[in-house]
Amino acid sequence: MSEHSVTRGHGADVEVRAVTKRFGPVAAVDDVSLTVRGGEFFSLLGPSGCGKTTTLRVIGGFERTDAGEVFIDGRPMGQTPPNRRPTNIVFQRLALFPHYTVYDNVAFGLRMQRLPDAEVRRRTRDALDLVQLPGLENRRISQLSGGQQQRVALARALVNEPRVLLLDEPLSALDLKLRLQMQEELKRLQHRLGTTFIYVTHDQGEALAMSDRVGVMNAGRLLQVGAPMEIYERPTNRFVANFIGDANLIDGIAGGVERGRVTVRVGGGVVGARARGDEHAGAPVTVCVRPERLRLHASGGPPGALRARIEDRAFSGYVIKYRLAGDGLRLHAAVPYVGGAPLFEVGDEVTVAWDPDQAVSVGRE
Amino acid sequence: MKLRGPVILALMAPALALMAVLYVVPLGVYFINSFHEFRDGRILPAWTLQTYVRYFTDPFSYRVIGTSLRLSFVVTALAVLIGYPVAYALHTRVHRPAARAAIALLLFSPLLVSVVVRTYGWLILLASQGLVNTTLRGLGLIQEPISLLFNMRGVVISLTHILLPFAIFPIYSVMDRLDLSLKEAARDLGAGWRETFLHVTLPLTMPGIVAGALICFTLALSAFVTPQLLGGGRVQVLPLAVYNSTVEINWPGGAVAGLTLLVISIAAVWALNALLRRLPTV
Repeated sequence: MSEHSVTRGHGADVEVRAVTKRFGPVAAVDDVSLTVRGGEFFSLLGPSGCGKTTTLRVIGGFERTDAGEVFIDGRPMGQTPPNRRPTNIVFQRLALFPHYTVYDNVAFGLRMQRLPDAEVRRRTRDALDLVQLPGLENRRISQLSGGQQQRVALARALVNEPRVLLLDEPLSALDLKLRLQMQEELKRLQHRLGTTFIYVTHDQGEALAMSDRVGVMNAGRLLQVGAPMEIYERPTNRFVANFIGDANLIDGIAGGVERGRVTVRVGGGVVGARARGDEHAGAPVTVCVRPERLRLHASGGPPGALRARIEDRAFSGYVIKYRLAGDGLRLHAAVPYVGGAPLFEVGDEVTVAWDPDQAVSVGRE
Repeated sequence: MKLRGPVILALMAPALALMAVLYVVPLGVYFINSFHEFRDGRILPAWTLQTYVRYFTDPFSYRVIGTSLRLSFVVTALAVLIGYPVAYALHTRVHRPAARAAIALLLFSPLLVSVVVRTYGWLILLASQGLVNTTLRGLGLIQEPISLLFNMRGVVISLTHILLPFAIFPIYSVMDRLDLSLKEAARDLGAGWRETFLHVTLPLTMPGIVAGALICFTLALSAFVTPQLLGGGRVQVLPLAVYNSTVEINWPGGAVAGLTLLVISIAAVWALNALLRRLPTV
């Protein structure tokens, strides 16, 4: 591979401290604090309208905050405009200049810095190589495919060697296959350049697959920050549990809490889960168990196990999905399909159990 | 629902009929008249090119054409130069729909007043003892009153006033369709306010400027009442020449001047349309 002038820089630390941004009476971002480490791939994940894009725009300097402050490498950004921040952004709608060629789009930032022509040429070519788009310099933007436009937008941002790259759902316009390919490419680029990436998405699969850490947002608030697996394994509240992956959310009444475990009375059974810490005996509590963690038994099962009836069965390759009902609950189970093993039929009565370490209490809002 | 040919024709019939009666037929009459000659107070029946020859060998014709073109260019340039910042301010600073509607009404208000009333208003303002001269003298900016009436200045001021909304609204509508993230992208890539304007906003709103200029230019070229009333006979433009010939029953002379006006208008439309096609679409 050729030597690229887009060098492995040190991504900057980004700190968002107690930021609130209102649009009229609505707080789009409500007292959000988070720290992104230099060189990290950090995703802001949440449904549309949750405030993730506004948070990103606050970091880029496109929105004034009503309260709080953004620090990049420890320096407070105040009202610093976007053109004086060490950040670049890839917009959701890409915002490529329609009156310029590919080359002029990518060279725009370098020309604004009034760099010598030779350097502009070299770095623009290198950036186009980096995103694997050589030879298209003289094309107009309207002559490119969606995937190519995506790469131009990326090159136009990266050519400036930003210390933080902000990405606002950049892949949402692409079809699934291209999206998966670009996900891999983005991750590889980020790893190679060492730039801090802050990536906004509503697609949990995308966030889990690409990120070092994920921040889950809803209704303007940052609900939980953690590594993808941590968020999947230990959601701290009902929204996160539901939004990330599939979840069985089971309402019950807390029994005793002992050594980090809580027992929960559900209908006729008693189940266990890891405690969040704020449970107390007799209070309502919700347990989150992932479908693949449920164990189904034809009969017997451990004491306190829930009883349910198979309502539906769906085969999807390496996994069999069961829909169950019983004890006032509706549950989803996913059982790995290994050829030849006996299957449950619709209408079968089963007992449902799980290892308490595989379930987690998410409190009760 | 897809409309079939006869239905479309029926829907367009009233407009087509109006165009035929009020435009095509008179144009035909003009065309025929231009090939006759007016002499000794009457139109001679013989077919001849004499009227054309006389018109295009008379230096006065070129003075009139020159005045018309100069007036149209100056008014168009002023309307676009004044109108663009207004459109820009409206686009960037006014966001509430009610405020936008109110400002639009205000901008169009000159057109709600009869051209004669409006022109008399300007007469009062621009006279030697009028508001403009009194104010300028009061501020000590001038010693002697500047003559703003019955010359080119007055006509330019008044026409620019009338044509301003025709410059503002095409520009504004193109601006409004502009993806705001394009400006944000320029800012993000290091462009300051001025560079963003020069490299992004201005080139991408050029179609609006061209469209506005086209409307202003053709309307200024065919303006009649304003040069007539505020020009005081000293601003001889093509529509006035056509009018004067016509009242003298010199229909062939009026026809040749009128067709010249039409050719200039068509040339301007064609040139600006060609320019518009070469511009990028937003």
